[in-house]
Amino acid sequence: MSFDTALRATEILIALAFIQQSAEHLKMPGDGRALFGLRILACLVLLSGLASFGALMALAAMSLLLLHRFQGPYNGGSDRMGILILWCLLFVHIAPSPFWQAAAFGYLAVQLSLSYFVSGWVKLLNPEWRSGRALQDVFQFSTYPVSENLRRLYQRPELCWAMSWAVILFELLLPIALAHPSLLIIALTIAALFHLANACLFGLNRFIWIWLAAYPSLLWFQSLLFAAHN
Amino acid sequence: MLKILALLLPGLIPSWKFFKSIEPSPRVQWRLISATNRNEDTWREFRPRPQQVSALETLRRLFWNPDWNESLYLVSLAERLTQKPTDHSHVEISQRIARRVSTDSIGFSHIQFRLVFVRREKGELVEDITFLSEPYRLDGAAS
Repeated sequence: MSFDTALRATEILIALAFIQQSAEHLKMPGDGRALFGLRILACLVLLSGLASFGALMALAAMSLLLLHRFQGPYNGGSDRMGILILWCLLFVHIAPSPFWQAAAFGYLAVQLSLSYFVSGWVKLLNPEWRSGRALQDVFQFSTYPVSENLRRLYQRPELCWAMSWAVILFELLLPIALAHPSLLIIALTIAALFHLANACLFGLNRFIWIWLAAYPSLLWFQSLLFAAHN
Repeated sequence: MLKILALLLPGLIPSWKFFKSIEPSPRVQWRLISATNRNEDTWREFRPRPQQVSALETLRRLFWNPDWNESLYLVSLAERLTQKPTDHSHVEISQRIARRVSTDSIGFSHIQFRLVFVRREKGELVEDITFLSEPYRLDGAAS
């Protein structure tokens, strides 16, 4: 994937993800509806492609206001990934040369790979994850399962063990998929399905859309690595 | 400005240690209180999860899930209020509960919330109450 295509795809996907998030906040009276309304407008400008730099500047300023408003991220990891993508895009636009543009966008690709690898690594180090007990705890008493019926899954230790190892291995091995273009497509498809499962089981819907927005950077990064190798 | 930078940095240099370990899990509970005779309602969980979620509802929630995401925000606030109490966390939880329960409040004037953390100890689930708010008026003002 070319740099320009990946950059534009990222702008479109993050604009759509921010519109989805902002629309949810419009329902909440105390969240600052005016700010989220403006955020949707900035996203529409970004979608149009007519004034991307101005829209990114506005969205970056709003990200600071939102961090202040909620004294941190509203939605944990998904907000953090949103900030990372947004500021990397902004750095690409203000970078003084193609080298620094690539560095800013490459940083996003590396962080995306790390988001899976580090997450898998810390689970691998934890004996409770390796035994499946941690996932049983997630289902039994964490705040994440979306229904009471789902909580019963903690009573199936073999299933939790298999799911735990599937997640650990997938997260650890994802960066290896950079070795081949087809492999990366397959890995990112599995990754998207993983986020879909998290949304269905744990209600983490914002993670799907925001992580999808970072995928073009990794597709471009792989092309860069292959070009450098050849 | 430094504080904003401190809030921004974890976004620019994230740690990505999702679910490193399963920590005690907070529940936000509330009850109504009558101002005149201090009658107390029973403790109720804030926005309890349903018994099951249909496939259609699951599909809808992929695109529209504001209530659940607010509940996750309350979990963050509960953790902040327990680990490093601030007025912001206290006020946010108070106001969000008050907005949600006003329809159940006939005959009551005040509301109170508490934070209960659930954890596993020697195979059993244990609950710890880590925070109990002062009663406050249902309109969100201090009592």
